[in-house]
Order: sequence, then structure tokens, then C-alpha cells
Amino acid sequence: MGDRKLFGGGRSRLDYILLGAMVALVLLGALCIMSAVNSISWANPVVRTHCIALPVGAFAFFIGWSFNYQIYDEQWKALYMFILLLLVGVLLFGSYQRGSRSWFVLPFFSMQPSEICRVCTILVAAAFLDRRGRRIREVTSVFWLCLLLLPIFGLIMMQPDFSSVVVTLPALLVLLYCTGVNVFYLGLIALFAGVAGFFTISWTYIYLHPDTLSYPLVQVFHGLSHNGWYIAGFATAVIVLGYVAWWLFRQFRIYLPSAYFVLATLMVLAGLFGGIFVEHQMKPHQRKRVEAFLAPRSDPQGAGYNILQAQIAMGAGGIMGKGLFSGTQSRLGFVPERHTDFILAVVGEELGLWGTLCVLGLYFLILWRIIGVAYASGDRYGYLVCAGIFGMFFTYMLINYGMLIGIVPVAGIPLPFISYGGSNLVASLWALGVVQSVYARRLRA
Amino acid sequence: MVMAVTKVLFNMRLKTMMVLAAVAGSIIALRLIDIQILRHNAYLQMAERNRTQILYQTAPRGRVFTADGVAVASNAPAFSLYYLGGSTDTEYLKRLSHDFAPHLHVSEDALQAKLQAGASSGKAVLLAENLSTKSTVALQELQYYYPGIYLIEETKRNYPYGIFASHLLGYLGSLDEKQWRKRDSKLGYRLSSKIGKNGIEKKFEQELKGKDGGVYLEVDYRGRVKSIIEDKKWAAGSDVYLTLDFAVQQAAEEGLKNSLTGRGAAVALDPRTGAVLALASAPAYDPNIFVPYSDEEYDPESKKINEYNLALQGIYPPASTFKVITAAAAVESEQIDLKRKINCTGKYNAGSRIFKCWGTHGPVDFWEGMAHSCDVYFYSVAAQLGAAAIERVQRMFMFGRPTGIDFPGEKAGNLYGPTRRARNKTYWFIGDTLNLSIGQGELLVTPIKLAQFAAALASRGNLYRPYYVEKIVSNQTGKTEQVGKTEILQHADLKPETYDVLFQALKYTVDNGTARRAKIKGVDVYGKTGTAQNPHGPDHGWFMAFAGYPGEKPAIAVAVFVEYGESGSAAAGPIAHDMLKAYFDNPAHHQPQKTQEEYNELLEETYGR
Repeated sequence: MGDRKLFGGGRSRLDYILLGAMVALVLLGALCIMSAVNSISWANPVVRTHCIALPVGAFAFFIGWSFNYQIYDEQWKALYMFILLLLVGVLLFGSYQRGSRSWFVLPFFSMQPSEICRVCTILVAAAFLDRRGRRIREVTSVFWLCLLLLPIFGLIMMQPDFSSVVVTLPALLVLLYCTGVNVFYLGLIALFAGVAGFFTISWTYIYLHPDTLSYPLVQVFHGLSHNGWYIAGFATAVIVLGYVAWWLFRQFRIYLPSAYFVLATLMVLAGLFGGIFVEHQMKPHQRKRVEAFLAPRSDPQGAGYNILQAQIAMGAGGIMGKGLFSGTQSRLGFVPERHTDFILAVVGEELGLWGTLCVLGLYFLILWRIIGVAYASGDRYGYLVCAGIFGMFFTYMLINYGMLIGIVPVAGIPLPFISYGGSNLVASLWALGVVQSVYARRLRA
Repeated sequence: MVMAVTKVLFNMRLKTMMVLAAVAGSIIALRLIDIQILRHNAYLQMAERNRTQILYQTAPRGRVFTADGVAVASNAPAFSLYYLGGSTDTEYLKRLSHDFAPHLHVSEDALQAKLQAGASSGKAVLLAENLSTKSTVALQELQYYYPGIYLIEETKRNYPYGIFASHLLGYLGSLDEKQWRKRDSKLGYRLSSKIGKNGIEKKFEQELKGKDGGVYLEVDYRGRVKSIIEDKKWAAGSDVYLTLDFAVQQAAEEGLKNSLTGRGAAVALDPRTGAVLALASAPAYDPNIFVPYSDEEYDPESKKINEYNLALQGIYPPASTFKVITAAAAVESEQIDLKRKINCTGKYNAGSRIFKCWGTHGPVDFWEGMAHSCDVYFYSVAAQLGAAAIERVQRMFMFGRPTGIDFPGEKAGNLYGPTRRARNKTYWFIGDTLNLSIGQGELLVTPIKLAQFAAALASRGNLYRPYYVEKIVSNQTGKTEQVGKTEILQHADLKPETYDVLFQALKYTVDNGTARRAKIKGVDVYGKTGTAQNPHGPDHGWFMAFAGYPGEKPAIAVAVFVEYGESGSAAAGPIAHDMLKAYFDNPAHHQPQKTQEEYNELLEETYGR
């Protein structure tokens, strides 16, 4: 598909631009991790693990590339069972660390199965959609896909691994968009998420700033979270508004399917109830995270501390940076999680704006090439796989950068290839291997 | 191959995703530029502040000198003792605290606990600050035996002459919350900084304050010391030179302290410039008590000081010193025959009331009336002259208005006279005129106002704005900033002959009258005593004088006030005498400071236009 000359001209079995960008990121990442840990020695577990993860990741890339990706399409049920087995297994045999059960601890190393599951989920979703054949664009596909993936998300939430959900859901949304599902249905999902998110964040803000309750409007708004009468009133108002909108559109002779209005109304209500549910489930430390997102400077020693210190590190780096191994913010421990979630702060401090823009550029290159491979893919499955993996990396990039520049809440999500984290590195390299596999087989399929 | 219909759709959606990624990437890049270029400096500062801990060394404040070069506010060494981590060995710390505790006035166990806590966290521990040299001699030697111990030299304010000019110098204190908000670390202030609370210390805070030095340590996020970055030397503040004459000020303070009640004020001005030569108020306080060493005992009660500056804030009736005004009005009017004698029988009959004199003087003319301060003489003169003429002269010398000295809290006093009364819509009686003539009644002045008046007489009419700071000299650049300047507020435009007569009468008062105690050999002294009647207790004593070498312009004008001193001549006279003597004993004052030409120029400058 598309322009053969630009996307997959010739008979090459390897996309060299994609490979080059990937290798550059991995090397840059390795350097920054070494800089972020204070002592570079074999005794340091971070250094040791990363040195093991690199060849394992290279092997995973090779596996992904050399296997025909269509195997995942054929064996999607087995893959689905594999995901469930891993997730059930980690719940049963995983070790409990930092409030969640998401690690397999083996004699020589530990692994986080949800990293592999993320990629597998995309492969399975792509296979399922591919199998819908002609009905791929119908809304029922969305519905059945949701039902299919529900057990996976349920198991992940039981760990709980919040960040896995945060990354996988947008990736699936991108995948659905690229399958050509009616944008309206995707919009409904976004509407639901938006309404639920709006209510959750607003209520959390009120919870953390009780003095705002002195305003009567705020009181009514806050009442929506627990007062049955307010909720009933709001629901009635939404339904009436939906009907009025439908009637108005009729009057102006704009004929939209009636189902749209019904679904939109339902989604707003579902968003409200979702928000209420989250509001009642939220723990104090999670509220603090939302607070830190809303106003990172309000409590420099508390939750906002992390993000503020990371920004200080980046800002202090300036254009040229302080040079590798000489960032004070990271080396003296002011930046938290500096070799994992906040590795970009280390890049920013030590390599400056060039470093952060370089990483951003390489990421963009990778995204661009994945799209290119999707264009060039020989079949619909290859196309869908690329779209899903694109969505995954896009989400990673958006959240990790967004968190650092203060437009996304701190979510504890690593930046693949750059951050320390063996499982993530291996899974990410494997995912790019699969993309290369799609590229390699574009002419044969 | 995919179906043709979906192919178009797929391509479109891929393109949309790519555009989305590009937009997101651009927003991120812009924000990165914002953080890393536009806000670079702010963040760099924050990063530097994060990683440095500073063991401050308080810089010496600028010194304060008198005009003759005596440092009356200076600095003394003070030391701070730090332990910068290092060994956590209990045995070592035990030995250390055993040796150090006696010098720091803390218990051994408390010191060891402090050290142990600090050592295990790796932070720098401040063991003691503001130590005097007394204990640091021993500590200096000890620190060589205990690695990790740092003795840091600082300075602390010191007033070598204790109470000397304390009301003028002011004192230091800790920053309160409001000052802290106004002067944060950007201006070089720390919570432990001392700040001028009053007087010169407050007024010239910015100039006097130096730039603190310090040992800059690199610390990690838990405050553990990693390394010493640099040892930054302090920069001392600028020196302030006062116009005060050390000997005169000291004579004034000594005199007041030894006076009958020990309460009073004395002011000396240079009648050629308006410079303040002495400004004393008793009781005074020792500003050293606000900057104590930590290893010295201080009575907290002693911090309750008397900040009341009587010289500027005390208002009292000027009593007989005011007779100079009445006399000036009489001479100026030319209605009074000065040679005509008036018989003082100790009483003056003012129709319905009898006014008393303080003695029985017999027949007195103008000069004798002044010399013996005869009330009856002035009653009769005032009765003939009328109160309005006296009030007019009062206004010429700006009675009832502050002298305008640049010092907070000065009181204005009160002008007294018929027009003033009329404004208040009450009546003026003959009794008021008589009261006014001898400086009693509602008339109120401050000691500095009277000194300004004496200086105005001495300079034949120039009412100066008194100033007490001559110049500020930077210790960094050596640059001198001239602060003090002569400013004539008003000229009391009496006839020259009037001044001649007044000079004669005042000199006669010193030579033969009540002001005899102020007489100094080889110097022309002009003076007038005053005893203010006080219905609530003993009378107050006043003395007003000016003096100069024969044939030269008067060089000093003084006003002395002793509260409850009972008599002007006995209580205040000797103090004025000592002040004048201290001034003329100084060989530097044998030469006139301004030539006649310069003086004329100044006059022309003020009145020429």
C-alpha cells in the first residue's frame, strides 16, 4: 500500500532507519542509566541487570523479526491463553513489592509479565479485529473486543498495575481508529473517559481544598459525588438535554442517527457513575498524585516534589547540558526514580536541550517508520499490528514527556529503550522486531 | 492484499495519526525550549540551592566613627563550631564531646547525642555559635586533634564605649517575620541575621551590612555532606562617619549620669553648619546586651531598655531661657529704654493677680535683668510690649516646630501666643502675656529645639536643620559618599544691633550673672539658665549657651536639660561647662573650620535668590 518508493521500496528485509533509531536510543539510554547510578561496577544491580537485559533484548528483537508475524494471527487463541496464564500466575506466585503483585522473582533475575502482556494484547486485539472480516468497522466489533479484553484488564487491575492500563488503553484506541471504526464510537469512549476524568479530578481538588466548599455552586457540584437526589437531578437534566438536542437537530433538518443521541446521553451518565466509583475507590496517596499534577509547586516537599525536582534538573541543563556524569540534581539524588521513570530529567540535565530533543527526534523517527511499515504491509493483520504498536510507543512518549513538562499526571511509566527496566526493554525490542517482521514480509504476504 | 475501499480509509487514518504525533511532538519541543532555555537561569539557581549548604560567616558590619575618628561601633571576633560528619565511631565522638563540652557550656551527654545524630545522618552539625575568643583559644588548639571539627571565624557587633551615644547609634536585633518577608535571602539576610532596630543601625542598615562569607558544602538530597566546594570570604560593610565630637559627647553623658536625677538630655550643635556635636539622653543603655556571646552570662532583665530619647522627645517649658526671646522682641521693637531701671520687690501686680519673682533684685536694668533672670523686669517689659511682639519673634525662631533632624520620633513642642490662642477660639489674658515672657505656661520645647535656638543666636539668625552623619565610606571601593550637608531652614531676620545687644547681655549673664558656671578662660561664652516650674515635683533645670574664641564666630552651641534638676544654674550649668571645655580643650578646634568667605557664600546661596 502507499508509495512503494518511500515506504518499502526495493527488496530489503530490514528497515534500516527504524533499526538505526532504535539502536541509537538504546545506546543513549545505556549511557544515561550508567550516569544516573552513582557507581558503575558489576556489583551494582542496575548495571548488572541492564548488561544482561541488552543481549536478551537483542535476542528478542531477532526472534520478533525472524518469526513470521502471521503466526500470531493464526495462533491468537493460544496467545490469549498465554496472557491469561501469565497474569494469573503472577497473581498466584508473584512477589509483592511496593503495594502491587506484579513481579516474578526467579533465581537469577526478576521479570514483569505485564510488559510482555502489553505487546501480546495488541497482537491479540489485532488478530481478533482482522478476523471480523467485513464487519471490522461495525460498532459490534468494538463491543466484542471490549468483552474479549475485559479479563486481561481485570487481572492487571488486580495486581494492581495502573501504568499498564494507562499505556494499553490508548494503544487500543489508536488501533481501533486505524481499523476504521466510526469516529463517533471512539468519540463516545473519549466522552466517557473525559466526563469520568473531569469529575474525578474536580472532586479530588475539592477534597484537597475544603475551603472551596464555601461557594454554593461548588457545594452542589461536590454533592453530585454522594448525594442521591443531586445525582438523580443531574441524570434527569442530561436526559432532557439529550432529548432537546435530538429535537433541535430535527427542527433544523439535520438528520443524525437517533442512536447517537441515546448513546451520547448514556456515555455522559456512565462517565458520572464511573467518576463516582473512582472517587469512592481512590486512596489518599492517589489523591496526592492528582494534586501534584494540578499544582506541583503547592507542596514542594510532598507529592509535587518529584516533578518539580525533575523540572529543575531539566531546566538547569540548559541548551548544552552539564555533561554526562556531572548533573548535580540526578547524582545527588534530588531527582527521584532517576534511572527509570524520570530518566529524561537526567538526559535533560546532562545532555541539555540537545539531548531531550534528540531523544524526541529519534522517537519521532521510530513512530514515522512504524507508520511507514504499516503503509507497506502486505496484509491487513500486519497493518493492524503496526497501528497498535505505534499507539503503544506514541502513548509512552506522550506520557513520559508530558509528565516531565507538566501536562500529564505522574504515572510511573518508563520511557522504552532509555529507561532502566529489563522486562520493558525486552518487550519493546521484541515489539519493534515484530514491526520489522511485517516489513520483511511485505512482498510475500 | 486488502480491499480497495478500506485501503483509502486506512491510509487516511494513518496520515491523521502521523499528524497527531507531529503536533504532540511540536508541543513537547516548545515546552522543552521553554524549560531548558527560557527558564534555564531560574532552574539553575534552584539546582544550585538544592545542592549547596552554606556554613555562613557573618561579615563585619561597617564601623561607626565620630568626627574625630573614634570607632564607637565596631566588630569583635566570634566563632562558630561545626562538625562535618566524618567518623561515626562512638568512642571517638565520646572522646570529642568529653574534650569540647566544657568549652561550650553544654553537658557531655547532650553534646555526644547531638554529634551522634549528626554523624549518622552525615549532615553538618552546628555545635555552637557566637563563641568569644576566651573559649576559642582552647578550641583552636583542640580542633587539630579532632578531624571533622571546624572552627569558623565570624564577627559580631561590638560597641567599645558601651552606652556612648546609644540613642543615636541604636541597636541590633533578630529579624521579625515582617522584615524577613521584606528582606529575604536575595538581600543577603538569613533567619539568624541581625538587623538594625533603631538609630543609625536601622537607618543605614543597607550600607552597614556587609556581604556574608561562608563555607560552601555540596550536599545530597538528604543533606549529607559530599564535598567542600569553596570557602568564600566575606566583604565588610561601609563605615559611617558621624559629626559627633567624641569628647563633647562623653562630657555630656558623664555630666548627665552624675547629675542630681541622672535623667536629662544635652545637645551640642555647630552654629556654623548645623552639625550635631553631641546628642545625649539619659538614662541610656548599653547596646552590647543585644549581641551577646553564647558563652557569656547575660541577665535577660537587662534587655528591657529605656529607648525614650529625651533630647528629641521630651517636651518641657523652656523657662527663663525663653527670656532671650522676650529680650529680643524688646530690643527689636525699640520701644523699651534698655537703661531704665525697674525695681524688683519680688512681686509684680497685674491687676487682679500678683505674679512672683524668684528673688528680690531691687532696681535692675536690661543687662542685670538678663544676668539675674529677674522675672519682674520681664513682666513689666512684656506688659509694655504686648504678647504679639513676643510671638512674632518666637515664630522667627520656629518655636513649636520640629528642628527637622533626620531622626524618627522628634516632637514639635508648642508655640504659645495670642494669635495661636485666637486660632483655638479662646481668649488671651494679661496673665498669659506675663507667663509667656518668662517661658512658662503652654510653651513647650525639646532640648534639641533649644540647642537649635542657641545655634541660631550664635549664627545671628540661621536656623539649621541639625545633621549627624557626615559621610559614608565604602570598605570595598574606598568611595566616599557625602551625606551631611548644611541646610538653613529659616533666617531669623532681627536687626544686627539687636543681636549685638543680645550677645552683650548673654555674655554679661555668664560673666556676672546666673550662668557663671559656664565661664571658660580664653573663650567668649554666652549663656542663659532656666528653671522650669513643675507643679508635679522638683523643678527642671535648663542651660543654653554658645561660645567661641574672641574675635571669631561662635563654634559651639549647647542646650542642657536636667529633669527634676531643681535649678538650671546648679544642675545643668556644670554639664554645659564641661561640654564647652571638652570642645575648646581639643587643639583641633583652635582654628575656625570655615573661612569668612565660605560663610558669606553660604548665606548668599540661601538668601541670594
